[in-house]
Amino acid sequence: MKKVLIVDDSVSMRQMVGFTLREGGFEVIEAEHGQDALDKLQGAPVDLVITDLNMPVMDGITLIQNLRSQPAMKTKPILMLTTEGLVGKKELGKAAGATGWIVKPFDPEKLLQTVAKVLP
Amino acid sequence: MPETHHGGLSEIAGESPSNGSGPGGSTGADEALAQYLSQLGRMGEQLRQTSKQIEDSVVGVCDSFQGIAARARATVARATGFLGNDGQSASDRQSFEGLIETCSGTLVKILNTTVEAGEISRRAIERMEEIDKASQQISDALGQLDQITNSNRMLAFNARIEAAHAGAAGTGFAVVAVELAAATVKSRSVTAHVGELALNLRSLALSTLQDLRNMNEKDSERVEQCRMEVDESLRDLQSAHSEMAAMLNGMTSEGALLATDIGSAVRGLQFQDRISQRIAHVVSDLDTICTRLKIHAGHVAPGPAAADEGFSAYTMQEEREVAGLGEDEASAGDVELF
Repeated sequence: MKKVLIVDDSVSMRQMVGFTLREGGFEVIEAEHGQDALDKLQGAPVDLVITDLNMPVMDGITLIQNLRSQPAMKTKPILMLTTEGLVGKKELGKAAGATGWIVKPFDPEKLLQTVAKVLP
Repeated sequence: MPETHHGGLSEIAGESPSNGSGPGGSTGADEALAQYLSQLGRMGEQLRQTSKQIEDSVVGVCDSFQGIAARARATVARATGFLGNDGQSASDRQSFEGLIETCSGTLVKILNTTVEAGEISRRAIERMEEIDKASQQISDALGQLDQITNSNRMLAFNARIEAAHAGAAGTGFAVVAVELAAATVKSRSVTAHVGELALNLRSLALSTLQDLRNMNEKDSERVEQCRMEVDESLRDLQSAHSEMAAMLNGMTSEGALLATDIGSAVRGLQFQDRISQRIAHVVSDLDTICTRLKIHAGHVAPGPAAADEGFSAYTMQEEREVAGLGEDEASAGDVELF
């Protein structure tokens, strides 16, 4: 079973994304901000990271930059799932190494299709 | 935020003692400012609590969705397993499909056994008919034997007459004629006994034959009745299976609709995340306003952090539209893979 890490400071968003992915047959672990995600990834590799952009402690862009500097996460897909719709922000995410960008509110079926596309 | 609150804040700014333009005295303005700042703090707290309550509610609804989805999945799985359509339970005797197969097999075995019994009965009739025929042949043979015995008796009688005519020379011949007559009597006795036995055998065979024919006739009726009942039972079982299969298909379709509905609801519930973010931005701005008012009123010395503190950086299109900061936006739900 593929493992997905969801990073979002909103409990409800983590729950909704988690619900969608579990229904899609994925194992899900959750983190409430970038630093929490980095801590949880220690010794527990995942197949995909879905992260919010604006979070306390460590935001999504910083998290992606950190992850891309780790050999284990260099080629793993990272999707950004955010309310942020600015094209400039999207470019920042792309430059940081994000694999894709999804604007909230997400469609569960579309999210699963996207996840299936990016996972090897 | 209500208009009256914005008006109140403007008023506070105008009454600030640090700018010296307020209509009232500094003490009155300070008190008013303190009241408004306190009110602003309460408003911020109200918004935080409201945001938290909405989030708690949405989390509760999501929990319910997970329960609904899990139960729907379990129900469909149980129904699928019961009907034996899951590809794993076809040989499972607990599955409905398995039960039908078992029942059908048992009924067919019973029917075959009954048919086999009828066949054995038919063969027994044939054999009894052969026995009857053989008994008849024995009777016929005995009739011929009786004729031979009669001939022998006449022969012995004539031999004795001829022996008498021969006198002393015929004495030996007379002894043979007497013995032949005695043997003829014995032969008749034995033939008569065998004839009685053959008659009894034939009578027994005919009686058994009649019983077997009666039984065979009833067996045929029973076999036909059994065949009809088996056909009817199998039709009922198939019909029940078809109805349950249709019900299962209905449940599966309902499950798919339920999944779609839950998907729509999940999408709809994400309004809470947007509302929470907007409320958080408003609360943050209220805090900034409070800080600036305090600085403006001279209650707080402007530190480097306070001086740099700005209003929220809006992250959503709606917020930017309200703030008049229209820029190129991605639409909600847009997906772009780089």
